[in-house]
Amino acid sequence: MTVLRAMAMDKIMTCAEFQETLPELFEAQADLGAQEHLKTCENCAALVRDLEYIASQARLLLPIHDPSPAVWDHIQKAIRDGDQPGASSPSQGRK
Amino acid sequence: MAVERFVLMNPGPSQPRPANQHLRRNPPIAGEQEAIQKAQSGDSRAFETLYAMHKRRVYSLCLRMLGNVAEAEDLTQEAFLQLYRKIGTFRGDSAFSTWLHRLAVNVVLMHLRRKGLPQVSLEETLEPAQDDGPRKDIGARDLTLSGSIDRVTLERAIENLPPGYRLVFVLHDVEGYEHNEIAEMLDCSIGNSKSQLHKARMKLRDLLRTGQRKEQIA
Repeated sequence: MTVLRAMAMDKIMTCAEFQETLPELFEAQADLGAQEHLKTCENCAALVRDLEYIASQARLLLPIHDPSPAVWDHIQKAIRDGDQPGASSPSQGRK
Repeated sequence: MAVERFVLMNPGPSQPRPANQHLRRNPPIAGEQEAIQKAQSGDSRAFETLYAMHKRRVYSLCLRMLGNVAEAEDLTQEAFLQLYRKIGTFRGDSAFSTWLHRLAVNVVLMHLRRKGLPQVSLEETLEPAQDDGPRKDIGARDLTLSGSIDRVTLERAIENLPPGYRLVFVLHDVEGYEHNEIAEMLDCSIGNSKSQLHKARMKLRDLLRTGQRKEQIA
């Protein structure tokens, strides 16, 4: 179902139908506040708020800290021990 | 639980992409292009520069997918060794970080397969069993999440997503990749990436609400 079709159908949408259109609505960055269904459905409005909140909180998660310096040491050692650019041999694991 | 088989992808020569499709949170890095060219010529200093530029994000992806520091560091090492071997095949048609991430994703999926996860196609990997998936939320009127999730809680909930959901969620919502880039990394359709992202968010909401209910009861 296209977003436009979904929006055209909005006034007669059930919760299931509205939630089926949600991925497209989010992706299209549609004005969800203008959706008729949300004006009358507290449950779907809460769902939309939560999904928007989860996405916004996820954006704050980066960065994790760096890997330990040992990782680069092991990469250097593996390269010294025989890895060459373009070679297809298995890596030397840091074990 | 569905039987799962991870299909691995080779991050071969990158595919052309429209000029305006830059990453939302992955802008070009100053000096990266020069470092790539030098590393392709065998310059070890340039390779170290590329490692310094990208180690955190590759490690973050590995850590979020595995939830284990030692394994994440091993796979970071493996991803960069693969980069060292294959950097000559990078043609610059797509963003370097996208190409490198595809390589890292491949390493992660191979590791998960070696750990003995049952095998399915990537499409199935991206489509967890019904029991693992999110529910439609019809008629459930209770607490909402807004304003109540801290970083640790969200990280834990992400760890509990099925691997396919977790991968798409991390790549899109955390790392900032677009669906066309994720589809390229995972060898799946753009529609599949969009669908899995939505299911991942719905499943996360389930997990977070369940956690909140347990806290309230306790």
